[in-house]
Amino acid sequence: MTDERFSGFGAFILYTITAGMMLFILAPLLLVMAVSVSDSYFVTFPPQGFTLKWYAKVLQDRDFLEAMRLSILLALGTTVGSLLFGVPAAFALVRGNFFGLAAIKGFLLSPLIFPALVTGLALLQVLTKLGSQDARLNLLIGHVVVTSPYVIRTVVTSLQLVDENLEDAARTLGANRLTTFWRVTLPQIASGVAAGGLFAFMVSFDNYPVTMWLANSEYSPVPLVLMRQLVNVFDPSVPAMSTIIILMAMVGVLLLEKLVGLRRALAA
Amino acid sequence: MTTSDDAVAVLGVQAPPATRWASRWRLALPVGLLAVPMLAFLTYFFFYPALGLLFSSIQTQDSRGIIGRPFTLAHYARLINVELYARVLWTTLRISIITSALATLLAYPVALVMVKSRPMVTRIITLIVIAPLIVSVVVRGYGWQLVLQNGPKGMLNWILMTLHIVDAPISVLYTEVAVVIGSLHVFFPMMVLPLASALGKIDPNLEDAARMLGAPWWKVFLRVTLPLSMPGFVAGFTLVFSLTAGSFVIPAILGGASAIMLGNLIEQQIFVVYDWPFGAAIAAVLVGLVLAVNGVSMWLLEGRRLRRPE
Repeated sequence: MTDERFSGFGAFILYTITAGMMLFILAPLLLVMAVSVSDSYFVTFPPQGFTLKWYAKVLQDRDFLEAMRLSILLALGTTVGSLLFGVPAAFALVRGNFFGLAAIKGFLLSPLIFPALVTGLALLQVLTKLGSQDARLNLLIGHVVVTSPYVIRTVVTSLQLVDENLEDAARTLGANRLTTFWRVTLPQIASGVAAGGLFAFMVSFDNYPVTMWLANSEYSPVPLVLMRQLVNVFDPSVPAMSTIIILMAMVGVLLLEKLVGLRRALAA
Repeated sequence: MTTSDDAVAVLGVQAPPATRWASRWRLALPVGLLAVPMLAFLTYFFFYPALGLLFSSIQTQDSRGIIGRPFTLAHYARLINVELYARVLWTTLRISIITSALATLLAYPVALVMVKSRPMVTRIITLIVIAPLIVSVVVRGYGWQLVLQNGPKGMLNWILMTLHIVDAPISVLYTEVAVVIGSLHVFFPMMVLPLASALGKIDPNLEDAARMLGAPWWKVFLRVTLPLSMPGFVAGFTLVFSLTAGSFVIPAILGGASAIMLGNLIEQQIFVVYDWPFGAAIAAVLVGLVLAVNGVSMWLLEGRRLRRPE
């Protein structure tokens, strides 16, 4: 119905650039996936033959499996942590009516515009002074700092859509505040909370700029291990590892799309 | 469940204003307190550390690695005066500006098509634009390393040579060009999404009116669409610039020794040289740069200075 808006030469330019950009976005990812099943000992183009042996190698690689376990546990912990801080804070921001609300909102969202690299470095300095040497705890703290603003953003958006009259009705009918929250408010913001949590999980899982400062040789999450392998390993096990990460991300994207719709989750 | 549904039907829309006010009043205090845990957490693990880092950037580190007095601005002077470091600062600025400009030029067509096509096309484009955002930056950098690989075995070189566009392999990897390509790939969605959201809010009647009055497509774009999409452009440009300026992974994988950015310099100063005050000074400059760009962008967006006088 709206296609007639584009016509003639303008349309040709628009569609050509758009198609070109889609190719630009997909090319490196598809290449990584293609090379991961290449039956050669070095990564070359064009890929040769077909084999799954690099996946077999990766799935027996202790370093990679350890990193996977650490990354998943860290991302789960981060999700719980950022929801515990973020959901109540989002409530305060939407329902509160106090002095300095705008300033506090800006402060709570500020880790989003602050270079994450510097956030991690600053945290490293403080944690070193405190003598906190457990890399797992340090990583958890760092990841919650960068992910909780995402939770605030998605939950604030869905809270703004909640019909407060429904809550007033429940309260008038004698439900206490907790019941009202549990039975009336929460079901309405559930998808926003879930999207925020999923976001926190994915951001934590992929995070490099904070992780690089707080990890150590004993506890290295997946992105760091992959970065090390890039430099030291030249067979297609690196693309195989990368493909596993790409596929996990795709599952996340589809879940997010199902939960709230991608545009809303990101552009909020 | 049914009882509450009935109640909504009966009472629902018109809760008496008095009740509304009363419940608001009682809620006001406790609701505000819900922000306290996160405020405390961020103050302690984000705000205070950031100030601490800024503070070390004006202090001196002795031979034992202890940071203290005297206060000095020498580290900042060093970043600007030593050519090796000044070059990193300029490289960072150049790469960030070129990446943001390219992202703008290429994102406009994509965002326009995304907003104005049939739902199916919109959905596919959205998915392709957004999906890579969630793939690890390390993986995407690696993908570009494979595409751009120097020598005849790289994908780009193989294609160029097979099509006889070039006779000998070209060397793109480990140059600034490679870093710009990688950064564009990583941050492109950050430009498309705000642009698409701004373009989606434009009243199509305005464009139709311009067209009906005889304006050619490019004039409609320049005089109607472009000015009205400025908020999206400003937001997108700020995001892409800030994220590119603060990147570490992409220049580390694709830039090699010839395109070192501020992030890589900080890492080197802290992990290799152990010069905390200098590392902190570079970090402070990076933060200053990012905050300045964000400040200008907020000033432009909130002051509604973008609405063009007619």
